[in-house]
Amino acid sequence: MNFTDIPLFERLTERMNWLGQRTRVLSQNIANADTPNYQPQDVKPLDFEAEMRRLDPVAPARTDKKHLVGTVAPAGDFDAKKSKKTYETAPVGNAVVVEEQMMKVADSQLNYNMVVNLYRKHIDMFKTAIGRGGV
Amino acid sequence: MELFDSMFISASGMRVQGERLRVIAENIANVDSVGETPGADPYRRKVITFRNQLDRQMGVETVKVSKVGTDPSDFRKKYDPGNPAADKDGYVSLPNVNALVEMTDMREAQRSYEANLKVIEASRSMLTRTIDVLR
Repeated sequence: MNFTDIPLFERLTERMNWLGQRTRVLSQNIANADTPNYQPQDVKPLDFEAEMRRLDPVAPARTDKKHLVGTVAPAGDFDAKKSKKTYETAPVGNAVVVEEQMMKVADSQLNYNMVVNLYRKHIDMFKTAIGRGGV
Repeated sequence: MELFDSMFISASGMRVQGERLRVIAENIANVDSVGETPGADPYRRKVITFRNQLDRQMGVETVKVSKVGTDPSDFRKKYDPGNPAADKDGYVSLPNVNALVEMTDMREAQRSYEANLKVIEASRSMLTRTIDVLR
């Protein structure tokens, strides 16, 4: 038996991945809070249909290990898109609002904590089922 | 891992804000630096600009200092015939540094630095939570 085969754990792990990547994108926005013409990004909300479509990305076949990987999106499993609706754009063309980004970071952090707690609770349930050694 | 990447990006943001603070310090320190010969130009205010750049090793977009340029605005004039830098009409050119503008810039750099720091804290706490699952 493998933990990741259990659908619940699979979903939780995926959610954690998504939140991790979102934090990465948000930290990029905040680091670029003073870069001219920078448009902030955000990852797409996680939804089932998009997940299914994502399962089969088109990549060039590598018939020899000397072949290069090709031009598959380098970073992360989830698409980071430029945010269309931003609070405001500075005269220099930068549309990062630090407050907005910080709010998103706090939101990601909260959700992450929730997912991790759920994960732990379920593991605790398994431990209870196992009996001795359980918490 | 995404969360490590996010810390790396935030660190690059903190680095450029530090650089910005250095330029501001230079401007403030030179607020009274005038020329030595009659009619000579005084210190010219420096301006820093940023750009985002792909870090090929990490595969993430970090922020870098684009260039440290100069402010082309006019110098301030002061009537001071006794000064060695005074021109034939008795006017001395003073640097185009406005202490108020520099202080405001400094505050902004400080806030951006703090925002980046907070993101590092958030990523770190998320990582710690994940490691805690092992317990």
